[in-house]
Amino acid sequence: MRRGVSVGRLVSPALGLLAFQAFAQDAQTWLHRMTRAVEDLSYEGTFVHLIGGEAETLQIVHLNDNRRVSERIVSMDGIGREIIRHEDEVKFILPDRQIVLMEERRDVSPLVSALPSYSEDLQQHYDFSLLGTERVADRETQIVAIQPRDEFRYGYILWLDTETVMPLKSQLRDSQGSTIEQILFTRIQISDEIPLSALEPTIDADGFRVIRAPEAALTEEAVPQWRASRLPGGFKLSVATQNLMAGSEYPVEHLVYSDGLAIVSVFIENPNSEPELAAGFSRVGSSNAFSLSLNGRQVTAVGEVPMRTVETIATSLTAP
Amino acid sequence: MTEQIQDQISAFADDELSAEECEFLVRRMERDPGFRQKALSYATIGAALRGEILAPDPNVLRHRVQKELGVVPVPVRHGFGQTAVPRGFAWPALGFGIAATVAVVALLALSNLNRTTTQGEGLLASDVSVVPVAERANFVLPQEVSTDAQPAHQPLAAPIRLTNYLVTHGEYVQGFGRTSIHTDVVGNRGTFVVVSTGSEQD
Repeated sequence: MRRGVSVGRLVSPALGLLAFQAFAQDAQTWLHRMTRAVEDLSYEGTFVHLIGGEAETLQIVHLNDNRRVSERIVSMDGIGREIIRHEDEVKFILPDRQIVLMEERRDVSPLVSALPSYSEDLQQHYDFSLLGTERVADRETQIVAIQPRDEFRYGYILWLDTETVMPLKSQLRDSQGSTIEQILFTRIQISDEIPLSALEPTIDADGFRVIRAPEAALTEEAVPQWRASRLPGGFKLSVATQNLMAGSEYPVEHLVYSDGLAIVSVFIENPNSEPELAAGFSRVGSSNAFSLSLNGRQVTAVGEVPMRTVETIATSLTAP
Repeated sequence: MTEQIQDQISAFADDELSAEECEFLVRRMERDPGFRQKALSYATIGAALRGEILAPDPNVLRHRVQKELGVVPVPVRHGFGQTAVPRGFAWPALGFGIAATVAVVALLALSNLNRTTTQGEGLLASDVSVVPVAERANFVLPQEVSTDAQPAHQPLAAPIRLTNYLVTHGEYVQGFGRTSIHTDVVGNRGTFVVVSTGSEQD
């Protein structure tokens, strides 16, 4: 059954009542509903990504088939990279490098994942507020603002569709209120009838080099003992595991720290691995990374957080 | 922003203004950061909502300023001997006249819009200037190559390992956060760039 409509179409008559009920909820409830909507609904759409004065158009297909989520995001401009999460794999196709990166998909249980918890603890580090309503792409949206209380995390302004709670527009902002990136949907269709074929890559990757994780068993005793000794307020260890990653001969230790909203991963390479990364800061889009060498291990912290956050966490790691 | 200015920006993007009007607009972009921001936002969002953003190259305003400067776009070389994708352009090393300086500043400012102002924040992929030839076979070149405004520390395209980390990291982020992270890696500028080095703690 096709439940949704394209942006710009009139919404159902029940919208008024739903919206009225929704307005009575606070900002954190809106955020929780948004997270569920983004995961649980099936939809496909086009959005514009603005960062650093540049705009890029991307397409997204998101399918929820009996709680099993599949997703494909493809850049419609230039190089045309694609990332596809389907079945047990995450496939990242880089036509510019003629590489297909295959990673194991990890459907992390909500009980142990770094899912935003929206607990009261969050309010120690963020201000949440509702900023009224506004039309985006001819749809009524509720504006939700999340303002960080310090410089260790980013904030958001979200324009959430009052009917579907999907974020039609978002701004990632630093603690000074400067916009770092924006995402703006120009078209979105929510439907239970999106075919599986929509997940098929448009790129013919025949002949591309496929990089995948080695076949090897992980040993329980190898669970990482490294820990960050100095964390920005509110950040806690959510996950400590090890991963077999594409292109790596040895398991990589992986820690996930979160304040309930912002999430930082720390990767600790095996001492036998050849260090690939120079020490220092790196950046892609709004995500920052900081690498260094500790006790002969290459350590990298990465996340959609300010540079000082990844640096603080990475440099405070202590060996077991 | 007045409706007249909005119309002017739109006409500028469509190459419909006179030379004098173009010069006025570019000079104002150079002088007034707020105007630049509004101009870019207006042009981009307007194009998006009109569906024009679906065209292969959405950087309408920026490329119009390039054209106004008489800059000849040069395709960026890509690794593996691939044919360059006609998205990014390089600034020619020579051929800039003094008269174009003001407009160059305006264009550079357009490149820098929305860049975070936090102290210590690094450069974006669009700032990457030089990648040593020896490394071109192994690293994805950034989308734009500039011969001016050379940063003190040349950022280099980082190995795919960082992208690998980010994809794995995305598996521990749910909802819109993961969409945002995947947008970073899929985007045309989805290559990590090293923005500073140091901090060995062995």
